[in-house]
Amino acid sequence: MKKLLLLLSLILSLKGFSQVSIDSLKEAIDDHKMKISAFDERLSTDESDLQKLTKIKFSGYVQAQYDYYDFSPKPTPSNTFYIRRARLKATYEAIDGVKFVLQPDYATNNLSLKDAYVVLNDRWTKTFSIWAGQFNRPDYEVEYSSSQREVLERSRMIRTLYPGEREIGVKLEANPQNIPFKFQLAALNGNFTGNSAKDGKDAKDIDNGKDLMARAVYSFKFPKCGLGVDFGLNGYYGSVQTKDSKYVLNSENKLDSATTGSYLPKKWAGAEMQFYWDFLGGMALKGEYIMGQISTIGTSTTTVTQIGGTNSTTSSGGTTTTTRTDSSSTTKTVITPNKTRNFSGYYVYFIKNIGLKNQLVVKYDNYDPNASLSGDKAKSEIYYNTLTLAWQYYFDENLRITASYEIPMNEKNATTPKEILDNTFSVRIQAKF
Amino acid sequence: MKKINIFLTAATVIVAIITMAFSPSPKITVKGSDTMVILAQKWAEVYMKKNPNVTIQVTGGGSGVGLSALINGSTDIANASRPIKQSEMEKLKARYNTLGVEIACAKDGVTIFLNNSNPVKELSIKQLSGIYSGKIKNWKEVGGPDASIILYGRENSSGTYVYFKDNVVKADYAPNCQTLPGTAAIVNAVKKDKFGIGYGGAAYAEGVKQCPVKKDDKSTAYLPTKENIASNTYPITRYLYMYLGTKPKGVIKEYIDWILSDEGQKVAVEVGFFPVK
Repeated sequence: MKKLLLLLSLILSLKGFSQVSIDSLKEAIDDHKMKISAFDERLSTDESDLQKLTKIKFSGYVQAQYDYYDFSPKPTPSNTFYIRRARLKATYEAIDGVKFVLQPDYATNNLSLKDAYVVLNDRWTKTFSIWAGQFNRPDYEVEYSSSQREVLERSRMIRTLYPGEREIGVKLEANPQNIPFKFQLAALNGNFTGNSAKDGKDAKDIDNGKDLMARAVYSFKFPKCGLGVDFGLNGYYGSVQTKDSKYVLNSENKLDSATTGSYLPKKWAGAEMQFYWDFLGGMALKGEYIMGQISTIGTSTTTVTQIGGTNSTTSSGGTTTTTRTDSSSTTKTVITPNKTRNFSGYYVYFIKNIGLKNQLVVKYDNYDPNASLSGDKAKSEIYYNTLTLAWQYYFDENLRITASYEIPMNEKNATTPKEILDNTFSVRIQAKF
Repeated sequence: MKKINIFLTAATVIVAIITMAFSPSPKITVKGSDTMVILAQKWAEVYMKKNPNVTIQVTGGGSGVGLSALINGSTDIANASRPIKQSEMEKLKARYNTLGVEIACAKDGVTIFLNNSNPVKELSIKQLSGIYSGKIKNWKEVGGPDASIILYGRENSSGTYVYFKDNVVKADYAPNCQTLPGTAAIVNAVKKDKFGIGYGGAAYAEGVKQCPVKKDDKSTAYLPTKENIASNTYPITRYLYMYLGTKPKGVIKEYIDWILSDEGQKVAVEVGFFPVK
């Protein structure tokens, strides 16, 4: 009986114990469930924040450069280290099809805004996009990024026609998905100088006219030969408004009169071609030819000269004051004429890949600022041919070094009778991310 | 003397160009498509057994990763389960001044994976587009049970992700589509989730139901079988590609020629893909 009672009490206490264990287990499970739900909630908030952050992308590059100026007469300084470019580009894709881009340039003593634009992509046909803001003008050499370009600087012609590379306006691009064709049409202010860091004048247009640019490129592929050819045409149609001068010097340097405030032409057309050939590791031949008419507006400068008079000087508390009395002044204002010029120019690049890491580059470019006159009649408007030889070594995707020798050769005439020695040897290291 | 120096310099440069262009590489690096990784590993394994002096290193990461590696020079061959994008080709042009070389090396049917218990018998391209874009949210809308559709998909560096989006979904993926790293992970998820749906290479379909797919409501639905893929009747048939920066030479050319030979194509069939011809 005692044993039976003992057994019964044992069973009852075990049951009670197991009931307590089950209850505490349930409690523990419920507790963990709540914690997991709380983590879930936090994670989904964090995930949503992280998704927003992944829409922001940063890229950039720094170009540290050494130049040696092989000039005559010898300049001071004859060589220098400097930061050619230091860019940081932020891209934010707000929603699929809408992108914001901001890219300042942080070169020493010259902080400037390079790109600031929004792109709206057509989500239906995936063909069209509209750009608005400050962006590269639609030209091959302009749009070819400085971080990718095989030579250190763009050709003289492109730097003259498109100063600062960028312009403010709107652009329509068509890039059909299954057709190797690209079309660009831009409406721009047309007066961008690239000097905005210094005078801020590029921020808005300075006249009522707007300029138009168009470019179309078609790509041909011959995969069996390892050959690709991109062929394109481009054009610029715009104007510049006269301000102070009512005179226009035309291309033959003949003087015409014009109403102050009238518009002078800026219009040109060009053709471009890029050949790519998979021969002994890849090579390319790229070129562009542009001809047309460009205009510049006259400038007005005023100088004041004081004549005669007597100086009297007083000093008080360390401050010296000089007063000139009984003097007269002459004010001279010089207004130069507006100019229209027929110009032409071209560039040709030859690029040869040697293995995976080396590249040999030869570039030849020409710019004739006044194609209507030559020899002595051209005076200071001489043409330049520039030969550039460069070698590049890619350490990896992010780091490369370039050695370059640029040899400008000028037209000779009575105003410039000799070849000007102004060659430049450069070494540049570029780090990109 | 000056002329001799110029001649010697020019000759040295020319010899360097030719020598570096033809320098053989004892090691072949293959990176890219996760869809193709088991196939690429099998190819490498079989080839290295026959050619013990050659080392072939294969890694996945996705078609996008492989093509980026090709552009930055860290791989010899990029495997891709989608065609190269125009933007990638522009980067190849800019870096290597070539268009790249595209070699179709096998065929695949992008398979729709359903849980074995899912009663849905077939799906059209339009229905798949609706499901993966989030317009169709419940299985009952496509002949299944009254339950929410759980979407499984790939990360955006995947060629399969891009191919499926461009050719089937033709819109943005639904925001609730779960991103998984590889077709094997998708198959695993669908296996455990009776309301799940996934997509991926035909070679991975084990333990899940392959859903027949039809071009439109009036067409016949087809399974991704060898015959249907060879004849292109399966609506989501695609080529698998190898991309190179320049024309293959030496050891790399021999390897690619072997992959395209009957022997190499037989390996593709054994792994679960389909011959390119």
